[in-house]
Amino acid sequence: MTRATLLLVAAALVLAACSPTTSTALQATGLDPQPDGWRGIPIELDRQLPDVTLLDTDDQPVELATAFLGDPTLLFFGYTNCPDICPIHLAAIASAMGSTGVGFDELDVVFVSVDPDRDTPARIDEYLANFSPRMVGLHADLDTVEQALAALDLPGPIVEGADPRGEGDLIGHPAQVIGFDSDGQAQRVWPFGARRSDWVVDLPRIVDEW
Amino acid sequence: MNVAWWCSGTGQVWTWRYTPFLGVWVVAATMIGGYVLSHRRAGRPLDRRRFRRWVLGVLALFVVSEWPIGQLGVGYLATVGIARYVVYTFVAAPLLLSGLPTWLVERWLPEGSRRQRAVAVLTSWPVALLVFNAVLFGTHLPVTIDTLKTTQLGSFLVDVLHLGAALVWWWPAMRPAHERNAIQEPIRAFYLFASSVLMFVPAAFLTFSPLPLYGLYELAPPLWLGFNPVADQQAAGIVMNVVGGFVLWGIIAVLFLRWAKEREQADATARRERNARVLARIEELESGGADSRRERT
Repeated sequence: MTRATLLLVAAALVLAACSPTTSTALQATGLDPQPDGWRGIPIELDRQLPDVTLLDTDDQPVELATAFLGDPTLLFFGYTNCPDICPIHLAAIASAMGSTGVGFDELDVVFVSVDPDRDTPARIDEYLANFSPRMVGLHADLDTVEQALAALDLPGPIVEGADPRGEGDLIGHPAQVIGFDSDGQAQRVWPFGARRSDWVVDLPRIVDEW
Repeated sequence: MNVAWWCSGTGQVWTWRYTPFLGVWVVAATMIGGYVLSHRRAGRPLDRRRFRRWVLGVLALFVVSEWPIGQLGVGYLATVGIARYVVYTFVAAPLLLSGLPTWLVERWLPEGSRRQRAVAVLTSWPVALLVFNAVLFGTHLPVTIDTLKTTQLGSFLVDVLHLGAALVWWWPAMRPAHERNAIQEPIRAFYLFASSVLMFVPAAFLTFSPLPLYGLYELAPPLWLGFNPVADQQAAGIVMNVVGGFVLWGIIAVLFLRWAKEREQADATARRERNARVLARIEELESGGADSRRERT
């Protein structure tokens, strides 16, 4: 066996030994275009904005099923300590709204906390201000949040273990943004991986067609 | 402790927990060990000045490839990613090349060998210019970054390409005048300047694109709340343009001034020699005239 072959074998062994350091592979390619040109994936099932009562950050009750009728709505379940999915989704939506000129007066962006223990109203306000203070932050007890999730066939939040940054626990939660038309009918979902370039395509159509 | 071979975009939350990259340590040790061993085998003493440059070149590679800069640049911040490219291309590669003595190049690339012929083709300045820019453009395409930099092997390959293309590109400009393919002013200044101008193209895409070009950085867990991947990308474009440009133009200026000084010294020497020859001729003529006058009297 030549020295070069030995080196190659050694390199391959090192590679094999070191490769699985990460549990998640990053898919950085964005969403594939749908046949109708949208990037969001159509929802085939008949689902409405859930019929639950949540609280806004002034602790005023909000009937989710009716409060946002009249404008299309993007609904997202997350938590303010989320290190990745939540800030990436919210930043992408806020940035794409800025790029396309779609305003919060024609599209509601609603964030529902799945972490009632840590997400106080003040904390939710402070968190959303990083993206846009005009995003709507809602919270409720865990049972109500789970009820809302179940109405959309989404799993409830689960504790996934310690946050590697030392900020309490990581919470597993649905990673998709759900789009409802002005009648509260669920139309499409945007899974994690949706990029600004995807939202720039879809946002004007949401406002025009929903 | 987490251990990896090479830095790559993992999609994992950033923490300040040290992750050694074994490949970086192996490559750095091999480069320094190989250099020292080659001198020992050839029975030649280490030239301290050259060895210092070689070590500094390896150190530059090491710093930007190891944790944390390597990981931040490949997985989280486009600005750091481009800064890594700038260091690979404009700091490490010229230092490594200027640390190589001619005899060692001849030893590693024996005259007439296949390796030597390949390097001779690659380092002729038009080919080198082409290779450098092909790698620059190719490795900064979104599809390349988003596909290759999400795996350790792909990320390693991109880094090898960056260093390889930089070495090929610097070769004609940095190697001593008597070596094959070495170019001198004014071609050298044109050659380096042309590359700096071509570099404005990808830099302009980064700076002026209204959307993030790279999903890798856009979808990576943000380092802080409110992190803006478009601003990060713009900063990356500015780093490529301004820092890359300034470093390169600084090097062009130094090389040009050194060449101008050498030319001036050579001209002065030639002038002195010519003057000395003229003076000698005049003296010779004067002494010849005096002799003939003496003969007539």
